[in-house]
Amino acid sequence: MAKKTISIRIDGELVNAVEGQSILEAARASNKTIPTLCFLEGLSSVGACRLCMVEVSGVDRMLPACTTPVQDGMSVTTTSPKLARYRRITIELLLVERNHVCAVCVSNGHCELQSMATSLGVTNVRFAYNYPKLPVDLSHPRFVLDHNRCILCTRCVRVCAELEGAHVWDLTNRGIHARIISDLNQKWGEAKSCTNCGKCVQACPTGALAEKGKAIEEMVKSTENISTIMRRRGVEA
Amino acid sequence: MPRIEDIGAFNNVRELGLAKLVPSVPRIAIGMGTCGRGNGAEGIYHAFAEMIERSGVDVYLTSVGCFGACHQEPLVNVRVPGNPLVMLRQVQANDAGRILHDLQAGNITHDLVYCKIEDWDHITTNIRYGHAYPEIPAWSDIPFFKGQRKIVLRNCGLINPDDIEEYIAVGGYQALYKALIDGRPEGILEQLKASKLRGRGGAGYLTGNKWEFLSKAKSDQKYIICNADEGDPGAYMNRNEIESDPHSLIEGMIIGGYVMGATEGIIYVRAEYPLAVHRLNRAIAQAREYGILGENILGRGFKFNLQLVEGAGAFVCGEETALIASLEGQAGRPRPRPPFPAQHGLWGKPSNINNVETWYNVAPIVLKGPAWFTETGSAKSSGTKVFSLVGKVRNTGLVEMPLGTPLKTFIYDIGEGGAVGRAIKSVQTGGPSGGCIPQEMFDTAVDYESLAQLGSIMGSGGMVVMDEDNCMVDVARYFIEFTNSESCGKCVPCRVGLNKSLRILNRITTGAGTTRHLDILDELSRYVRDCSLCGLGQTAPNPVLTMVRHFRQEFEDHIVSRRCQAGVCAELALSPCENSCPLHMNIPRFLQLYKENRLEEAFESIIMDNPLPCSTGRVCQHPCDKRCRRQTMDDSVNMREVHRYIADNILLSDKFEPMAERIAGRKLEPTGRKIAIVGAGPTGLTAAFYLALLGHDVTVYDHMPEAGGMLRFALPEYRLPKAVLRREIELIEHLGVKFVFNSRIGFDLPLNELDDRFDSVFIAIGTWKESWVYLPGTELKGVYPALPFLEQVSKKAPVQLGRRVAVIGGGNAAIDSARTALRAGSEVTVVYRRERKDMPAIEEETASAEEEGAKIMFLAAPHRIIGDAKGNVRAIEIEKTKLGEYDSSGRRKPVPTGEILRFECDSVILAVGETVDLDFAKASGLQIRDGGRIEVNRFSLETSRPKFFAGGDVVTGASNVSNAMAYGKQAARAIDEQLMDAKRWDNLFRTVEYEQRPPDCPSDSRRHKPHELSAQSRVGSEEEVVLGLTPEEALDEACRCLRCDVKVVSVR
Ligand code: SF4
Ligand code: SF4
Ligand code: FES
Repeated sequence: MAKKTISIRIDGELVNAVEGQSILEAARASNKTIPTLCFLEGLSSVGACRLCMVEVSGVDRMLPACTTPVQDGMSVTTTSPKLARYRRITIELLLVERNHVCAVCVSNGHCELQSMATSLGVTNVRFAYNYPKLPVDLSHPRFVLDHNRCILCTRCVRVCAELEGAHVWDLTNRGIHARIISDLNQKWGEAKSCTNCGKCVQACPTGALAEKGKAIEEMVKSTENISTIMRRRGVEA
Repeated sequence: MPRIEDIGAFNNVRELGLAKLVPSVPRIAIGMGTCGRGNGAEGIYHAFAEMIERSGVDVYLTSVGCFGACHQEPLVNVRVPGNPLVMLRQVQANDAGRILHDLQAGNITHDLVYCKIEDWDHITTNIRYGHAYPEIPAWSDIPFFKGQRKIVLRNCGLINPDDIEEYIAVGGYQALYKALIDGRPEGILEQLKASKLRGRGGAGYLTGNKWEFLSKAKSDQKYIICNADEGDPGAYMNRNEIESDPHSLIEGMIIGGYVMGATEGIIYVRAEYPLAVHRLNRAIAQAREYGILGENILGRGFKFNLQLVEGAGAFVCGEETALIASLEGQAGRPRPRPPFPAQHGLWGKPSNINNVETWYNVAPIVLKGPAWFTETGSAKSSGTKVFSLVGKVRNTGLVEMPLGTPLKTFIYDIGEGGAVGRAIKSVQTGGPSGGCIPQEMFDTAVDYESLAQLGSIMGSGGMVVMDEDNCMVDVARYFIEFTNSESCGKCVPCRVGLNKSLRILNRITTGAGTTRHLDILDELSRYVRDCSLCGLGQTAPNPVLTMVRHFRQEFEDHIVSRRCQAGVCAELALSPCENSCPLHMNIPRFLQLYKENRLEEAFESIIMDNPLPCSTGRVCQHPCDKRCRRQTMDDSVNMREVHRYIADNILLSDKFEPMAERIAGRKLEPTGRKIAIVGAGPTGLTAAFYLALLGHDVTVYDHMPEAGGMLRFALPEYRLPKAVLRREIELIEHLGVKFVFNSRIGFDLPLNELDDRFDSVFIAIGTWKESWVYLPGTELKGVYPALPFLEQVSKKAPVQLGRRVAVIGGGNAAIDSARTALRAGSEVTVVYRRERKDMPAIEEETASAEEEGAKIMFLAAPHRIIGDAKGNVRAIEIEKTKLGEYDSSGRRKPVPTGEILRFECDSVILAVGETVDLDFAKASGLQIRDGGRIEVNRFSLETSRPKFFAGGDVVTGASNVSNAMAYGKQAARAIDEQLMDAKRWDNLFRTVEYEQRPPDCPSDSRRHKPHELSAQSRVGSEEEVVLGLTPEEALDEACRCLRCDVKVVSVR
């Protein structure tokens, strides 16, 4: 059954959208950008980073574009001074939460957090750094997990569960102590369910998951394949 | 028991239950909720059981839930057949014998009586217990219950929660029966919608609409869920409801299942409520056995199953999507809505989630109809809500009130005000997701909209009352600490934002905050509120946002002056006493130095903190006592008397000269800056002392012929001998301070001239202007305002006082006037419009006045003064007052009763308050605040005119000596900092070494009271009344100190 086409307004402009789409999907389909971090095309949306917040007229609260379905006649604003301020805070908080030292990072120059900070104009942070002491898991023969650089977007969790079907990754603990774990909180190298496919590494927006042997700035990733496969699956299903 | 399948069987069960509820033998029921058990109810139960068994008497012993009055636990209710139910309070196990004994004789144990219940409206039925015992107050006459409307708590504390038959006896399961017989679920849905019942879990969504969603959802399977994951600190109504009356919940849910077309129900209870879990399990089993749950309910063909799931007690699982995740065995993390549970809930099936209390309202609505329900409560918020009233109120417990009741009813009428006579500051509603409402706003109605307007929420009904001993910054920190640790960690704002807020608050409470932190905190809180994924994060900033809004000054105090008035933030205070002293005297230090027999150094420690130690040692209100930790053992240390003792021993002895030299030797290099101080009262003298020590050239002006201000001219000789004050002033003169008398600011001393001649000017004048009350007859001869009266006496000028004197007022000036009049040989009556506990005068002084023969009339206000033909006072008419509503000071307002008393008198002294004469300040460039005070910056004391500072009474209104002096100290520091552009204050103080260990065995004496002249010998004499401590007593008193200033003790 073909989905109904509806029309919505994004930043004043009338665009077409398909019922069931999220605001983000509708926006991207008509070449509008909304900043995102935890969203990865093809994977389910979780609404964790809150970078994609937008304003919808008639709704007194801001809404995440990635998980809010479009409705006929909806009018969405994607940029405003308040949104800009809030997005900035999100980036600042992510930067101070763990230890993001770009100068020594494998992903320097190819990191989504870094480029998001640049494009949103975050040149300094106003909060004190947390400097947590976090481990680096080097147990896997081919890959590294560096908790210092993880932003808990759970893209690795989802790609592994939804595409590879292995469900190696999950979250443990609560609040500020939340952490990514493999299998039942074992070392990655000991995680039986890992197929060594490396999809999580490609999905990870930062240098938290990387290939071994890569030096500073050398970890270039691509999420293109992930999205393409998932898109195709969607059509087949 | 066979299953109930027809109305006959149902009625049989009902009869069986009634036989237990109102038996033909005496009945004893022990309140056995968690609260009762915590207070020893189990022991009481066993004591009764054993005794009954031993003696073989025919008494029916049973247990019930909780009746809500936590502050009176354990409660036991007893009944002699045919008579009212009587509640006994604070019962001990060893009371069992006499209670039983009395009961057998048909009597009630009177000293334990709390209240009686003659008939009870269970809503679903009425129980008549009987009418008797006129001497016992009815339950609804007890302040704690007055105005309460028990709909949700209709059965709590009265029936045995473990017995389905008693539940049926009070009309339980009737609503269900009716619903099933009527067979029209749509009808019930209509009723529910018309009742406008709103979700009692916090959000206040209309329950009828929510039910409609699910009933319309099409699916082979639907679930209804009861959210009993009550996790707010300080909230326990759901626990109590389930423990005391589990069947009402079950009944509500079965009806819900029937209306919404669901056959499966789940109750999600936190595992921390073992008793609730136990009773619910038992109730479910009983309901099954009686054919009320399971297949073919009550023989009407409807099927419904109920299951209980224990949650591990994560706060976030109160959020419905997290709760569903938890039920499915996943980690309790919320997910975005939409889809809403009504479309996609448990196991992907349409589901409905309601809070415990919402379910309790179902049966009454079904039975009595929506019109009956909307009679209670306000237009938009119908019905009642159960609140847990806890914190700093006298009566704590569970309170069920109609929605829309003002906050002050809860706090002052039901709670009966502050727990230990401390002023109540605010109330936190809605727990960690709610906000804090300041005392000035206690008129607010408690309903969903009004609370939301103030930035708070109703939440599940927690009400935590806070008083002046609560630091609002610390409370905000506490709540954020809670939500920070309960955040699931999924979304950035809640996970990192709350953590950041917590870190900032931690800095502020430890004295490392900056003013920028306040702005960041505010912006961060708004961000977390607006951007978080679920309700936890969206509401978590409410405490901070409301506290910064309503208590900004407290935050600023922590940041700018690094002070925590409430004395909670340990890093910001040396010791409780130091923190409560307006001058922040290092009390433990001088006590210790004195203990080490270092009298001179002890004195230096005192005078460097407090330049008028002999005067304050006599007349200070001694707030230092208020939070002294020694009180936890017996009584506070009598610090004021010890410091008086030490000061007298130096200043009033031949040690004066060398000491004056020693202090003068501390003076810093002359700075060449000239400072004028206007006012030679306590504020001015204090500022002069420090400014002179800081090396400035100080001149003090006063309109009186001598220095000392109120200390000299308002305080009577018998309290503060002039010679003592003279000595203190000499010491200040010794530092090079110049005095110019008989010059009044604005007249002899134009402001522009001061501006020209001095580098800084500090205005520290007192409240010499009498506020005048409108009272017919004040123009008569023989009417005196208190201050001029005291001033005349202190100048030894003649005052014509009659034989009988009436003093109007309750402050220190009133008591001083009364005692002065007594000394002039008059008979004195003090007339005060409130009660004794409300009197602002120092307690000891009031007591002394009474000892000396003054009469005090409370709850009386002057009506008019009557004169004779010659215009002399002949009598005064007094109108009796009674206590009315609470005013914004948290005291009850005296209201006139119309009852007039007249008594003959010859003089009337009016001590109704004083203000500052600010005529000079008009057109001087000094900004005046409403109420006639000079406007200053709270921290620097700068006025709106450059170079001019002001402090003391002139900015606060009439206050007391230590508060006034504190301003002098603060001003000296601020003026020096501004003049010299450097922080030189600390250069004045030297470090001294002394023992830094708490005493191994502090003295176990009780607080020493100073010696006094006997009442007979002191009236009619000017002599000082309070003589002070003996050397031994002073030392012993110092040895009572626990040394709270020592924070880290090395273990030896
Ligand atoms: S490891 Fe990478 S992909 Fe996984 S949660 Fe952390 S930042 Fe996201
Ligand atoms: S015990 Fe000593 S240090 Fe502690 S509050 Fe009392 S006087 Fe101060
Ligand atoms: S992209 Fe929408 S919340 Fe992260």
